[in-house]
Amino acid sequence: MSKRSNKNIIQEANLETSHQITRKYFFKECFSGIGAMALGSMVGGCDWLGSKDRFDQFGNSNPLMAQAPHFIGKAKSVIYLHMAGAPSQLELFDYKPELLKLDGQDCPQSLLEGKKFAFIRGVPKMLGPQAIFKQRGQSGAWISDNLPHLATVADEISFLKAVQTDQFNHGPAQLLMHTGSARLGRPSIGAWATYGLGSENSNLPGFVVLTSGGNNPDAGKSVWGNGFLPSVYQGVQCRSEGDPVLFLKDPAGIDRDLRKASIDAINEANQLTYNEFKDPETIARMAQYEMAFKMQISVPDVMNINDEPAYIHEMYGTEPGTTSFANNVLLARKLVEKGVRFVQLFDWGWDSHGTDVKNAVDIGLVNKCRSIDKPITALLLDLKQRGLLDETLVVWGGEFGRTPMQENRDGKTLPFKGRDHHTEAFTTWMAGGGIKQGTSFGETDEIGYSAINGKVTAHDMQATILNQLGFDHEKLVYPFQGRSFRLTDVHGRVINEIIA
Amino acid sequence: METIINFIGHFHPVLVHLPIGILLFAILMQLISQWEKFNQLTNALPFAYLLGAISAVFSCLTGLALANNGDYDADLIFKHQWLGISVALFSLTGYYFIKNNRTVYLKWLSYLLLLLIIITGHLGGTLTHGVGYLTIGVSKEEGGLIKNDNPIITNAQEALVYKDIIQPILKDKCYGCHSAIKQKGKLRLDEKEWILKGGEDGIIIHAGEAMTSTIYKNILLDPVDEQHMPPKGKPQITDQERMLLEWWINTGASFDKKVKELPQTNSIPNILLALQNNNVNKIEVLSIPKKEVAPADEKAVNGLRNKGVTVVNVAINSNYLNANFITLSHTSDTIHDLIRDIKENLVWIKMPGMQFTDALSEAIAGCTSLTRLSINNARISDEQLSKLNSLNELQYLNLVNTKITLAGLLKLTNLKKLNQLYLGQTSITAEGLNKIKSVFPNVKVDFGNYQIEKLITDTQLVKAPEKISVKITEKK
Repeated sequence: MSKRSNKNIIQEANLETSHQITRKYFFKECFSGIGAMALGSMVGGCDWLGSKDRFDQFGNSNPLMAQAPHFIGKAKSVIYLHMAGAPSQLELFDYKPELLKLDGQDCPQSLLEGKKFAFIRGVPKMLGPQAIFKQRGQSGAWISDNLPHLATVADEISFLKAVQTDQFNHGPAQLLMHTGSARLGRPSIGAWATYGLGSENSNLPGFVVLTSGGNNPDAGKSVWGNGFLPSVYQGVQCRSEGDPVLFLKDPAGIDRDLRKASIDAINEANQLTYNEFKDPETIARMAQYEMAFKMQISVPDVMNINDEPAYIHEMYGTEPGTTSFANNVLLARKLVEKGVRFVQLFDWGWDSHGTDVKNAVDIGLVNKCRSIDKPITALLLDLKQRGLLDETLVVWGGEFGRTPMQENRDGKTLPFKGRDHHTEAFTTWMAGGGIKQGTSFGETDEIGYSAINGKVTAHDMQATILNQLGFDHEKLVYPFQGRSFRLTDVHGRVINEIIA
Repeated sequence: METIINFIGHFHPVLVHLPIGILLFAILMQLISQWEKFNQLTNALPFAYLLGAISAVFSCLTGLALANNGDYDADLIFKHQWLGISVALFSLTGYYFIKNNRTVYLKWLSYLLLLLIIITGHLGGTLTHGVGYLTIGVSKEEGGLIKNDNPIITNAQEALVYKDIIQPILKDKCYGCHSAIKQKGKLRLDEKEWILKGGEDGIIIHAGEAMTSTIYKNILLDPVDEQHMPPKGKPQITDQERMLLEWWINTGASFDKKVKELPQTNSIPNILLALQNNNVNKIEVLSIPKKEVAPADEKAVNGLRNKGVTVVNVAINSNYLNANFITLSHTSDTIHDLIRDIKENLVWIKMPGMQFTDALSEAIAGCTSLTRLSINNARISDEQLSKLNSLNELQYLNLVNTKITLAGLLKLTNLKKLNQLYLGQTSITAEGLNKIKSVFPNVKVDFGNYQIEKLITDTQLVKAPEKISVKITEKK
């Protein structure tokens, strides 16, 4: 009896164990587990309850449809020229004759105490301005001979002379400049603008990115990413050589009608999925299929600079068929003309440390300047003569500034003159789009080390850009993970001093 | 002792609400107790009046303590003080009447008391918030605290440094507490004499020395410092304003000189120029008409959208519409009808590269609210353009790269508000400017054709000096 009952108990236990690993049971468990995970990511990842209204107002179809801003903005589109690597303000716009007098002397301890630099170690030497400065135009803006063409349009520009950041490495500083946070995961300013305003041209993306200079910015594609916004708002990076967008042509044997029919079928299936789960990413996916279909026609046309007249090529200094900043600037003008909301240009190679001839402030930097001087000047004049400058905001800047001291990497004298990363003061500028003409805001001390008045931050610039587009930066929000996020987080002040 | 009195005085703004509330409630009870139904409220009246009277007495005492520190307009204080005391006395009298059953007297007294409370309260409000505080933001005309009649600076160098530049700053940021309305710290800044006289701590300006002048030093103090001016929470002096004040004091705090007579260093010329830019030649970009408009017909808006036109409100709180026809190269009668359906609402239209027809011109001609029209690269004849003469609100017209002739353009005689005209790549040149100006008096014309000078440096690259390149190769 006892033996038998023992056997029964063992049998029962075995049965119970096998119960737990039967195929049916496995799947049952599995589904509810994965289901819960998926639900979790959907509920937490994208707050579709909060953003439902916004997607309903698109009639569930087009998240890129043009939207009205909070108030009447002065700018309709933005061209943001980012000099990745951080150009030296001391060789371009921030003229410091006092610094010249200190050239070659040891940097005073007071400037070094408690400070941290990316590469400077020990006591560096001061480095005077390595360019000749003149006052330009009626406004008397100081612009160096490195930018002789830009100097002729100085009266169109508002300079911000005392920009500050708290990041001294390229990646985080670029992220801060473009996403409002030095860490990954936030949407970029172009994504916010497109989220807020949609696109004026239903055949083109709202946010286009072009890079030049041989490299992408250090922060990678996150500087034009969509963060937690639906992915339809991310920057579309176009190649500036060969096909602007890969696989634009229909493959052999597939004609346009067939392609259209297949996209319609896919989107019909997606619509069913959206009706069931209400995940905005599904809408984004559908919109992207539609957009890709339209872009097959519209992109080759707008991204082609071959047909531009000769005088335009002469003006910009463009050479079709190459990858250059000049070509990208001309493309930016064409895109804005076609109704693209935000065009983001990155030009790599401005990191003037002095470790190499290419990044010497008196050699490589001068050559970089020559590659942007004519195109940017042409851009401002071309926008003006097309009646677009008053509604297009042009922003120029890097991610931080450069030290008034000569870099002494690891305490050694470098072969060329260079400057280290500097967070406390640098220059950026804005023009067009309702910005004052010919002004300068902010000031640095006699040697350009720190900002003494008119300090602005990346968040202030972002608030200003959004303001020009018609947004209150405190109200352009997106609910995510239980709270409303905005580009400027809890910071940002509109720089009214430079607004016309 | 002084500090204790000041401390007590600070309770006045809180305490005053007690007599106001209690006495108003008492008067209300007294009125409705005349009805049979609420008769029993009469029993509560002595208590209400007594409580009101006691709180009024305390309000008076704290009020006297507050008035003691003398930051207020003496005349207003006088009125407010005696009216307040009379409120206290009348409410005590009211209590006396009730206790002695003088019902008829009480009725008249309560009306008087009501009137006194209202007037005293209003005067108190005026003392705290300034003259005309009730109407600020309500009426757009007079009645604001300080009228914004700042002079318009057409040429900063010719402007008067005090009257045109410094006084507007003081008016904006200081008059709220230091002028005829209030004299905090016994200081007034609204006349030369007062400014030179200073406040209770003496002279505030040492001509030529901003850094020792109290008025400037207090601006520089940390915003959390008690002496910092303007006080925390009030609109602050901007950096440019601060620099202008510094410059004004350092150059001798002149009350009658012109800007150009004073030495200008550092950023001052730029700041002055910015002031000037701020006020003249200000072109209202992307503007809309002032009058309101009813919401657009949604069916027509959606109809246009289905045709590929981007139609969107100019702002979420506006019914005016912005339409971009960029994806279309020609239009149809359906589109013309849709345009007509929303003609009141359309304010900005972009039709670059459009093939114009007479019908399209007529449809646009009906959009009389239109302020901006871009028809650059459009195929449009002089004849079709002349139909647009009805667009008398138009401020911006872009005709770049069209076949329009000067004669055709000059037919648009009704477009008096036009202020931006773009004529690049047309047959019209700067020679026609005078004729254009005679038809469009306020216009700024852009003839395009900008050239960029060719420089040798454009294509030349800078190379490292020989010596250094040798050094590099050695290194390698």
